Amino acid sequence: MRRAVFFNLARIGMPVGAVTSIAHRISGVLLALGIPFSIYLLALSLRDPSSYARAQNLLAEPMIKAGAIVFVWALTHHLLAGVRHLLSDIDLGSRLPVARRSAWAVNGAGLAVALLAAGVLLGVEA
Amino acid sequence: MKFSIFRFNPEHDEKPCMQDYEIEPQPGEIMLLDVILRIKAMDNTLTFRKSCREGVCGSDAMNINGRNGLACITPVRGLKEPVRLRPLPSFPVIRDLVVDMTRFFKQYHSIRPYLINGEPPPEKERLQSPEDRDKLDGLYECILCGCCTSQCPSSWWNPEKFVGPAGLLQAERFIADSRDRATRDRLDDLKSAYRLFRCRTIMNCTEVCPKGLAPSRAIEKIRLMLVKESF
Amino acid sequence: MSGLRAWMVQRVSAVYMLFFIVFLLAHFLVDPPRSYAAWRDWVMSPAIGVSASVFGAALLAHAWVGLRDVILDYVRPAALRLSLLGLLALALATLGVWFIRIVWLGHG
Repeated sequence: MRRAVFFNLARIGMPVGAVTSIAHRISGVLLALGIPFSIYLLALSLRDPSSYARAQNLLAEPMIKAGAIVFVWALTHHLLAGVRHLLSDIDLGSRLPVARRSAWAVNGAGLAVALLAAGVLLGVEA
Repeated sequence: MKFSIFRFNPEHDEKPCMQDYEIEPQPGEIMLLDVILRIKAMDNTLTFRKSCREGVCGSDAMNINGRNGLACITPVRGLKEPVRLRPLPSFPVIRDLVVDMTRFFKQYHSIRPYLINGEPPPEKERLQSPEDRDKLDGLYECILCGCCTSQCPSSWWNPEKFVGPAGLLQAERFIADSRDRATRDRLDDLKSAYRLFRCRTIMNCTEVCPKGLAPSRAIEKIRLMLVKESF
Repeated sequence: MSGLRAWMVQRVSAVYMLFFIVFLLAHFLVDPPRSYAAWRDWVMSPAIGVSASVFGAALLAHAWVGLRDVILDYVRPAALRLSLLGLLALALATLGVWFIRIVWLGHG
């Protein structure tokens, strides 16, 4: 018997909490992927004074700056969405109206901080 | 009003398609189901489930403009046009808007949705104080319509292993019941990586429940109990 | 790892990291490192060494649970799933050892 299924993700609604959730997952994966480079940067900054200077110069590279902005978004969103999860674990903000408001707040704050970081990193030319 | 309805007849169609209808709701027709019934009068090949028409049987659960809901308690005016009606997402479609609920009920049965009490039955009934009865509010009202589970991404990815919001809400209904004696077993059954813990509190379930219930909150309660019990 | 244990690890590590990150942000706002020497002295101090090592462990445990969730959700074939989980464990363990070395020895 032929079977069909409705599973067109573009046509299935995404409530605001679902956006917060998938962004939480994506930001988490991005942060995890950034761990090796971050450890490398740490090692570089500690080795000797010239490496320390090299680490600082690296952060001025446009590609690295772009990555830093994404990193800031990822860290902010992941952290705030995580706090929202921790609070709902202890039954704070688990009811729908509050949960919706906190989802909007988290989504907005992540973007706002990322924009701020972009302004600081891209606006200030050394 | 313009409607676009998911059509699939396994006897004729290779794949599903969306069919357009244009119909003007009459003054007495307030709910979506009223209009769908009149569309069926125009095109009697349209197939869907319906029964109580008052939001207590759960038969006419469907996806309305992307969000699951019951057609009989969804006001039809004010819906964005074309009103897109589709079957519950991810469930196998039998025909048009009718889905196969077998997997959904299998998960429901897996949490043992009945009172388990080995104590000798009393003369009349197992007594329960009003305070204890209140604990079942927000849990017993589930009509097993499937709106929550078919809107849950975790259920989409692992429908065979993850119990899903409806099943877990009912698990909490029996865990919270003061007359039940199988709490320990019920909790143990949910400790695996899949049965309950695929839930990431996305909260789609609570968003779409047509009875205003909160499966995500029930799942949180079970989690906290699991934590308390493990110390 | 059972669902309950993984979930608890994820939550506990998250709380510790939250405090540590807030502490880091506050420190860098109030007293940013002014030179290589100041930076190195601060990182290599025992208090930072210990708390950063715990942070490293927490971070890797947290990343393990999170990435494991992604794998458990999307990877259906059992053999592939187990292999990926194994690789993930190895990768994170390697990063962990590398990090601890840096924080205690001052180099990679």
